[in-house]
Amino acid sequence: MEHQYAQALWRIVEKGKTPKDAVANLRRVLERHGRMRLLSKIGRAFARIAARESDKRAVVLSVAHAKDEAGAKRAAKEALRAMDSSALEAEVRLDSTLIGGWRLEGRERLVDASFKKYLLSLYNRATQ
Amino acid sequence: MNNLVVEKIIREIETFAPAAESEHVGAVTAVGDGVVAIDGLSKAVMSEIILFEEGKGASLARSMEAQGELYGVILNLEEDGVRAAILGDTARVSEGMTVKSTGRVLSVPSGEELLGRVVNALGEPLDGKGPFKKTTLMPVERQASGVIDRRSVSEPVQTGIKAIDAMIPIGRGQRELIIGDRGTGKTTIAIDTIISQRNEPKERRPICIYVAIGQKESKTARIVEQLRKERALEYTIVVNAPASAPAALQYLAPFSGAAIGEYFMDKGKDVVVVYDDLSKQAVAYRQLSLLLRRPPGREAYPGDIFYLHSRLLERAACLSKEKGGGSLTALPIIETQDGDVSGYIPTNVISITDGQIFLVSELFNKGIRPAIDVGISVSRVGSAAQKKAMKAVAGGLKLELAQFRELEAFMQFAQDLDKATAERIASGQRMVEVLKQKNGAPIAMELQVAILYAAGQKFFADVPAAKVTAVEAQLAGFFDGQYSKTLTEIKKSGQLSDELKKTLDIAMNEFKLAHKEFFIVNS
Repeated sequence: MEHQYAQALWRIVEKGKTPKDAVANLRRVLERHGRMRLLSKIGRAFARIAARESDKRAVVLSVAHAKDEAGAKRAAKEALRAMDSSALEAEVRLDSTLIGGWRLEGRERLVDASFKKYLLSLYNRATQ
Repeated sequence: MNNLVVEKIIREIETFAPAAESEHVGAVTAVGDGVVAIDGLSKAVMSEIILFEEGKGASLARSMEAQGELYGVILNLEEDGVRAAILGDTARVSEGMTVKSTGRVLSVPSGEELLGRVVNALGEPLDGKGPFKKTTLMPVERQASGVIDRRSVSEPVQTGIKAIDAMIPIGRGQRELIIGDRGTGKTTIAIDTIISQRNEPKERRPICIYVAIGQKESKTARIVEQLRKERALEYTIVVNAPASAPAALQYLAPFSGAAIGEYFMDKGKDVVVVYDDLSKQAVAYRQLSLLLRRPPGREAYPGDIFYLHSRLLERAACLSKEKGGGSLTALPIIETQDGDVSGYIPTNVISITDGQIFLVSELFNKGIRPAIDVGISVSRVGSAAQKKAMKAVAGGLKLELAQFRELEAFMQFAQDLDKATAERIASGQRMVEVLKQKNGAPIAMELQVAILYAAGQKFFADVPAAKVTAVEAQLAGFFDGQYSKTLTEIKKSGQLSDELKKTLDIAMNEFKLAHKEFFIVNS
């Protein structure tokens, strides 16, 4: 139940209603239905939705070494544009398991230009 | 590392061109009991294959050690994500794992290479004979052939079982349900049907597909061994989704079997697919549906349980000449509880199929095997496909047996029976004996015709009922050895002409004279 309320709250805020008004409306509805005890649970569910949505919007650019960052940002420029993002917005993370190259993930998209991916596909093709 | 692999690697490195293709992805938000909830993948389609990315954050060495790729299939498209069934080990999936969309709907490999092989519901080999080299991908879910593409059933599937071929004939392209309690010989009938196909000429021999759903691995292994011993595996494909397999694979296995069969059907060949059994598939589908939070209906089955079986069995077809003239015969098996055919799943499948062979524990325990209840077993379209010779000898058989069953019940209360009734009972008893058959011993159509002709001519009237089976076996051997030309003639013409009848009469008299010891008493 709390999940549905939290989702409705999220949608209302997304549509432009101020959080203050939205919460006030929610309180009124809950009071009318005698469900005030749900409020704290709705709060927690809302936080989960917010975290998930924030993760969805995040764009992470992973590189194997710090020195590769600039090159990766240049190489990933096109891919970032396709994601409606820019190099400035992307969070850069170090992932040594990539060996080399870069990997861009976010907004339901994945562009993997890492050496690891290439070597793995090479291994799979050679051993098949 | 052998030279071939080294060469391959060198070639690949020389042609290296890093491709940065964009893929559509989502993330696992919840996982349990073979079902995952995925956030993202907003452009996914139903039945699409998804790939779980296990190697994220793992070293190259560890990724190389992974046990093959892990796939899933999308079963629910929801407002804020999708739900999918994992086609493998659930323990390999973790929360937050990236899931890639493949853009492919679920399909299985099919082709001549699969003949004689044992594969899983995804078409991957399970028999250790190595991967397939040249196969064609067939969609697991496919629209059944339309009205225009079909023609009426006209050719029989010879099961090699006298009782079935004579009274409940099955045509190529038909859907005939085999139904009964556990341990009544349902699988035996299906396997005998597969074995019986070796009597067919190679060019007209149907490809057989045995789909084991929720069965014990030991049982499937025994069946594969039996097929191998009987030289039936060479034209058979076994699709195995054992009881230990995830529910998703058990649910998909019959569809995979149908897809593999359709490849051959599209090439103009005849195919027989055995689904053993659909009750277990229904249970697997119920489990999946409940985990996918679809609303439960009667007996907690989801609302589309009828559609699950109807869309599968509708894929059985006898295609028109323009479409190649191939056929796909479906032999679904349903297990009943305590002989109750009015259960939810049995009635569904009965209404979908073109007839049913009903097996009864009571007959089985009496030693009447195959334990077919002739009264409620029926084939709605098969008689059109029955050979004329068989029609000629099997005409009144069903009625005679049904009358005998009624009299048999009446016999228990009556002390003195009039002569006509006593004769009818005696004749019925002998007919029941004639129709008994050992498992794994299918009989060719022409020999069945000869035996049933003999039975129809009251040949066994003077044989004590208890000895009929033995005499019948001797007679079959006699026909086979001494009158093989006559049998070949029946097989070739498919008819029982007056001339052939006369020859059979002569043969019967010869046998009688040679084996007087069998024909002594009127029991």
